[in-house]
Amino acid sequence: MKNTRNSVFDGILGDNMVLSSLMMISPVIICGDTLKNALALIFAFTSITFISMLIGSFVPKKLPYTARIIIYAAISSLVYIPVRFAAEGFYPESIERIGIYYPLLAVNSLIVLQSEAKFYRMKRSRMIGSLVFYILGFDAVMLITGFVRELFAYGTINSRIVSIDTLISGLGKPFGGFIFLGLMCGVYRCIRSAFRAKNRNMS
Amino acid sequence: MFLVNDLIALLAANLIFSQALGTSTLFAAAASRKDLVRTAVTITLFTTIGSLGAWGIDNILPRPMKNYVSLICYTVIVGILYAGFLTVLYFMGSAKFRKYKKYIHISAFNCAVMGTLFTVSGRAADLHRTRDVLCYLGGGIEAGIGFIIAALILAAAYRKLTSEKVPESFRGFPAMLIYLGIISMAVYALN
Amino acid sequence: MNQKKESRIWLDEMITLLPLALMAFFYYGVHFAVMAAVCIFTGLAAEFAALRLMHREFTADDLMCTSDALIIALMFPAVMDYKIAFLAVLFGSVVAKNVFGGRRNMIFSPAAAAYVFTLTSWGRELLMYPSPHAHTGIAEKAKDLVVSASHTFNMTGKMEYSDFEILMGNFSGPCGAVSIMLLVIAAAMLIFRKDISAGAFIGTISGTAVFAFITPMIADRSDSVKYSLVTNMVLFAAIYIVSDRRTAPKKSYYAFFYGFFIAVASYILIITTAQENTIVLATVLFTPAAMGFRMLEHKIEQAEKEQAKEEAAR
Repeated sequence: MKNTRNSVFDGILGDNMVLSSLMMISPVIICGDTLKNALALIFAFTSITFISMLIGSFVPKKLPYTARIIIYAAISSLVYIPVRFAAEGFYPESIERIGIYYPLLAVNSLIVLQSEAKFYRMKRSRMIGSLVFYILGFDAVMLITGFVRELFAYGTINSRIVSIDTLISGLGKPFGGFIFLGLMCGVYRCIRSAFRAKNRNMS
Repeated sequence: MFLVNDLIALLAANLIFSQALGTSTLFAAAASRKDLVRTAVTITLFTTIGSLGAWGIDNILPRPMKNYVSLICYTVIVGILYAGFLTVLYFMGSAKFRKYKKYIHISAFNCAVMGTLFTVSGRAADLHRTRDVLCYLGGGIEAGIGFIIAALILAAAYRKLTSEKVPESFRGFPAMLIYLGIISMAVYALN
Repeated sequence: MNQKKESRIWLDEMITLLPLALMAFFYYGVHFAVMAAVCIFTGLAAEFAALRLMHREFTADDLMCTSDALIIALMFPAVMDYKIAFLAVLFGSVVAKNVFGGRRNMIFSPAAAAYVFTLTSWGRELLMYPSPHAHTGIAEKAKDLVVSASHTFNMTGKMEYSDFEILMGNFSGPCGAVSIMLLVIAAAMLIFRKDISAGAFIGTISGTAVFAFITPMIADRSDSVKYSLVTNMVLFAAIYIVSDRRTAPKKSYYAFFYGFFIAVASYILIITTAQENTIVLATVLFTPAAMGFRMLEHKIEQAEKEQAKEEAAR
């Protein structure tokens, strides 16, 4: 029972899709430089991924693998249309800035590849639970990245100016995203192995 | 001299260093040098032929619908290419099909290919050259070559980045990200 | 490179860097001295902390971090903000070096990476310099900053300084990279002591000289060669960055081409974009090439060993 619970929560710490498998890193690197962008991306990723994967789970397994992958991508591309309509109302400025990375969220590896490899092998109720935590894992990384990069690159938090006298403007650039994510990934692994060692000692 | 300049321009417009497109795919294929090169070549095929499809779509779709419908249209194009490449490979013999199909699977739906279609389309619109098929074709080839260059740059350091001398927490993916970040920083400084 | 040699290289490098630092102190005053101290202590502290985290002991060989830090300080304007200098050294030591395993697994030159990091985040602060003899106090804000002589030369092809002033480093630019006479002596000493890669150094100098002669930046070809070598930190970078034995190819033959290609790319960048100090950018960009050369050397060595074994077996 304990193992089952652990694996459902894996998406946040044990197997975070961004920090562990480096999935969906392009939007995090390029657009995760402000909290506003992060929120707009979180909104789109969460809604598109959850709805698409739920619908995709009804696709018959009898179909050939390639056909199923194409159908999953097509479903998420269709789900993208109403999500984009809604996002233009909620985050009009961010959508403009995020540009091509917004539609790219719809063909993310969680929907296209991990769905087959992991989620659709589970029972539907368990799949939903696990999926929620994987999505939350992405959301958490996006929020942290957006917050830290905005603070140190632009000296603002959610566009409000805070007092920091030496800004590292490079942190807001794509290369800053690469380096920050790399460092975050290393720290994440360090924390994960410390947790695992602690659990091992306790058991 | 012009060659060096062209190389520098290619680096500056590189889809990995400037846009981080296809980085996950690059890392996924990085474990073996053969895989890296074959994936890069397959992605070049997808971006080049896919760009031609994007040219067709951009000339059919009315402007107001573009933001919403482009994605599904591009998905259909990539889907057709995906199935098409697998079919062609299948008819080339079962041994080849077994050996090479994985490159098609990992190259089809990813940020490198889809991102290139959107980038090429956006650039053509900015330059008012949506009717110019060569603009799309050039963009597709350039993106593919950019991916190959990034693959070579990563391949050169792969052994060092996965070496046991690298601290365990940073070995592999984190070190690769930081390595690409520093190269990308130098490319950015060129601009 | 064995351990003993690395600490010896550090000592020799420091012997050549200290006169450059003294010269900078003479021209620009106490602000530079404090900035250099900040860099060195940051480098030392970062290295110490990183080694502790990697469960390694700090040895004499790890002192190379201080020479790297001093190289960074010497590439900066003498009036550089202390916090920026601190962050740059931290970046060079932690991100560009210790994340990859430190001195046992060097990929980038820490000084080059730190310079590019500063250029991309604080370009204005990095490329505006005080004039020589304009001393700045410890807590004073820099005033009357000017562009470097390299920038003026890249943009207009003019060099308003006499040969003597150039030799003595009496012109605006990175505080340690302009003392040409001291740099020539340092190059000779470090090559003679085999502390830097002679192949890479000669490659860099000859690449710059050949291209400055073939495609001169100014009408007089000899002046073009002369000024191309003394501006844009070419000499300084050729000694302390391109020819760094930790990152350059091991064999002189390959190291020569490595240096030559860097020089050519850097020269072309200067004449096409007029950007300053492109040699540092080119060095970072050629890092994969250096590793490619090293892999090639390794393969050739292995093939030679196998051939020798086969011959011995016969």
